[in-house]
Amino acid sequence: MAEAPTSPAGGSHDSGGEQSPRSGVREQDRYLPIANISRIMKKALPPNGKIAKDAKDTVQECVSEFISFITSEASDKCQKEKRKTINGDDLLWAMATLGFEDYIEPLKAYLLRYRELEGDTKGSARAGDGPARRDAVGTLPGQNAQLAHQGSMTYVNPQAQGQHMIVHSMQGNQ
Amino acid sequence: MRQPGTYSGILTANMAGRMGPHSLPLARIKKIMKKSSDDVKMISGEAPIVFSKACELFIEELTRRSWMMTMQGKRRTLHKDDVASAVVATDLFDFLVNLVDESSTTTTTTTTNDTEITEK
Repeated sequence: MAEAPTSPAGGSHDSGGEQSPRSGVREQDRYLPIANISRIMKKALPPNGKIAKDAKDTVQECVSEFISFITSEASDKCQKEKRKTINGDDLLWAMATLGFEDYIEPLKAYLLRYRELEGDTKGSARAGDGPARRDAVGTLPGQNAQLAHQGSMTYVNPQAQGQHMIVHSMQGNQ
Repeated sequence: MRQPGTYSGILTANMAGRMGPHSLPLARIKKIMKKSSDDVKMISGEAPIVFSKACELFIEELTRRSWMMTMQGKRRTLHKDDVASAVVATDLFDFLVNLVDESSTTTTTTTTNDTEITEK
């Protein structure tokens, strides 16, 4: 029983816990990482605000519940329409249905930007012929993370995206 | 002796690269989605991406509303009770009422297996 088949080879040697690590019920399968949650929470607070650990744990549970709540609604819709795959639009629909309509616009903008970036990256990868090109692509996510943060407050500035692409293609040409 | 530093360094770099602009790990989101119902069979590639942003918005909103409760109590540290109060005070968060009730009344670990684990 203590010898769980899924325990990683490099894991700790003491397995004397009450909850033996079984596949499927591990913390890391049920929740998003607490560090990421904590970082997002801090963004929403003034600089002098502090967060107790129990509050982070609660929010962590709430986020998983949120995902399940939305997914179940989207899944029902797919079943009714006899589709097997839950897609992004199903989730947007479910959120609108369940009262999260304020999220729709920022999410659509986010998705649009992601699709543009995907197309952009793929296009340059096809045309690209050297490691320099790959480097140019590699720098994109960081820059985009900043854009994404701004995007949560304001809507996407199409010009910013345009400049972004110009910079990108210039790097590629050199 | 293995050197965990090197290994975790690579891992972190990899993860940062793969996560790209998303602030939450997509694979984890997908796992949680699959657990929400037995009917969830297939998930499009875009769905976890939508959730990575949606969860961010959700966490920010929940935190802001909880912080209002903290401030009402003239405190500077956000506690679990503030989250619970925010959930109760907000219609949108009705689906969380049971969760925050449970965790505030029972401190012992009552982890029920609400999701069936099927060994394949």
